[in-house]
Amino acid sequence: MKMELDNLTKQFGAFTAVDHISITMSNGVYGLLGVNGAGKTTLMRMLCTLLKPTEGTIYCNGRDIWEMDSDYRRLLGYLPQEFGFYPEFSVQDYLLYIAALKGIRPAVARKRVKELIMKVGLAKEASHKMKKLSGGMKRRAGIAQAMLNDPQILILDEPTAGLDPNERIRFRNLISELSEERLVLLSTHIVSDVEYIANEIWMMQEGKIMHQGTAEQIIASMPVAVWECLVEKQMVSALTKRYKVSNLKTEPAGVTLRIISGEKPCEQAKRADITLEDVFLYYFGEKAGDEDVAI
Amino acid sequence: MLRYEVKKVFSRTGSKIALLILTAAFALTVFLAVGSVEYVDEQGNSSSGIAAARRLWEDKNKWAGEINEDVLLNMLAKNREINASAEYLSSDYMENNKAYARKQGFSDIRDMMNYAFTAFREYDYYRVDSVTDEEVGSFYERRISNLADWLESDEAKDMYSEEEKKFLLARYQALKTPFYYEYADGWKAFTEYAPTIIMLTVLILGFPISGLFASEFQWKADAVFFSAKLGRNKAVRAKIGAGILIVTGIYWMVVFLYSAVVFGILGTDGADCAIQTGLGGWKSFYNITYFESYLLIILGGYLGSLFMLTLVMLVSAKTHSAVISVTVPFALLFIPSFLSGISVLSKVLGLLPDQLLQMGQAVCYFNLYQTGSAVTGAVPIIMTLYPVLFFVMLPVLYQVYRKTQIK
Ligand SMILES: Nc1ncnc2c1ncn2[C@@H]1O[C@H](COP(=O)(O)OP(=O)(O)O)[C@@H](O)[C@H]1O
Ligand SMILES: [Mg+2]
Repeated sequence: MKMELDNLTKQFGAFTAVDHISITMSNGVYGLLGVNGAGKTTLMRMLCTLLKPTEGTIYCNGRDIWEMDSDYRRLLGYLPQEFGFYPEFSVQDYLLYIAALKGIRPAVARKRVKELIMKVGLAKEASHKMKKLSGGMKRRAGIAQAMLNDPQILILDEPTAGLDPNERIRFRNLISELSEERLVLLSTHIVSDVEYIANEIWMMQEGKIMHQGTAEQIIASMPVAVWECLVEKQMVSALTKRYKVSNLKTEPAGVTLRIISGEKPCEQAKRADITLEDVFLYYFGEKAGDEDVAI
Repeated sequence: MLRYEVKKVFSRTGSKIALLILTAAFALTVFLAVGSVEYVDEQGNSSSGIAAARRLWEDKNKWAGEINEDVLLNMLAKNREINASAEYLSSDYMENNKAYARKQGFSDIRDMMNYAFTAFREYDYYRVDSVTDEEVGSFYERRISNLADWLESDEAKDMYSEEEKKFLLARYQALKTPFYYEYADGWKAFTEYAPTIIMLTVLILGFPISGLFASEFQWKADAVFFSAKLGRNKAVRAKIGAGILIVTGIYWMVVFLYSAVVFGILGTDGADCAIQTGLGGWKSFYNITYFESYLLIILGGYLGSLFMLTLVMLVSAKTHSAVISVTVPFALLFIPSFLSGISVLSKVLGLLPDQLLQMGQAVCYFNLYQTGSAVTGAVPIIMTLYPVLFFVMLPVLYQVYRKTQIK
């Protein structure tokens, strides 16, 4: 499976949401990392034929995906960022319906739905109405529908957003399990998500892919260093004004700061190992993720 | 897939409520339709229902048969006899009712005579009381001469072309006389309330149908729908199929139940009488029987419902809004009735789709359409125009929905 994005661009009026992206993907897990508004969802919608690009093309094994039409969508599994469903349908009916939408024969569909319900841990809820499920369960039903056709291309838009820490770990494990032998593209604005699952990370900013590579490559590409230093409380505000501070921990002896900087920020500073979190902060200028940095 | 689409539609609370309202509206209208046929007994008390219909049937069918000069003379004599009775002359209305009780057997014939012996655009309930035995033989000729006179009058002179006038007179002359008459109150009641039932059905069906295409967006289920293999082809066809199925199923169920109740209580006698034998149809230039008119009503109603509700689907597929699309039938039904006072528009109004929902009335309108020297009424035009538009809309609807982009 090979996907090529060629000069892919989407404009909304004068605003460019996806800006001339040309990249190639093959099997493996790709983590699309970017702050809100970076253009991740727009990019994914184009990959799912939900949105026509203003410019550029997407090829799947060399063929234009819009020309392939249902031949392309047959290969696709998609969990949208805002996953909507039919609230009055039971989990089982919902999945059977989506299976029909995906053109899966009824006998095969029944078997597949049963397997997936087990796999995502919704066996007990199979006959519950979709609207009665908890947030995490809905997301699991969402991944189940994406997997129904055993897709060659699996696209997950912020699959872990809004989940509680336990549910998030379960969900990451589920995605890892499901990601073998296919092309998986998942977007997130939470660094630890991609750190755990992705083989290749794409950092997206203002519609462009700014940096790409494995976590190690991206970390190695950072032109500055990360320092840790224990300082007195009154020093903190001066340092945060001057430097990018990626972490800040209050301790009995003072405050430990984690500072991203090319130069040594203060006397007692010691070099620390760079993490993806630091890279994210360095490039995007804001803290990665809202919840979850500790995991 | 069709089954799931239907299931989706009726999983919405709004659709369930709509069905409940339809049931209630149906019951009320049927009650009114059946109650519209009244019988006045010898004591002057009126009643309705099965027993009343039965007695009216007996009274009216004493006059069943060809309405020739003998029957008309007989009727005039009977009428005079009753007019001379103490009950008729009394100032007490219960006494008057008793007199009416004796007239109701020939009340339909009486109505026709009132029409025949007054000018085309007039109606005088007491005209028959002064019709003489000598002139009664001109009954059928007068139907035609009334029209001819009116067509030459200042009011109508410029309203119709020569061809149109000829067309109308030819239609009048072609009507088979003498009329065959019998009790036909079942058909009359059916005709009178059919538009109410059919319009209510269309308006209320607008609610479930408007959700068929729009709900995917409201539920935000659109992204999964359109990115699925069949989401832009077979699934769209299943939606259209589900829409047609729901409209067809519910429409014919309503019509079947309405017919069953009305005819079950009021009877199906009079099926072969011309619609001109009743007060409503006297002037119609469509020479059809009550049964033919019935077929026209239910078929026209179906074509009209199909057209309007497919338009609802189209608007909801285009706007993604159930709220906007649900107003479509309301607009199609109520705007023409606001404009109906403007006479220059009457030709256009005669071709609007609301006419299909009231075919029993449409056959009585005098809208004519001429191309070259060929003249026709509105009925054949709308009966072909809207099915054609329906079939034109289907591929448009399909293309509009399958090209949906999710923004
Ligand atoms: N339909 C649209 N019309 C106008 N602007 C849009 C539309 N969809 C997205 N955008 C804009 O495009 C940018 C990228 O949005 P999105 O792809 O949703 O980003 P992300 O998923 O990375 O948060 C945002 O600034 C957003 O406001
Ligand atoms: Mg997004």
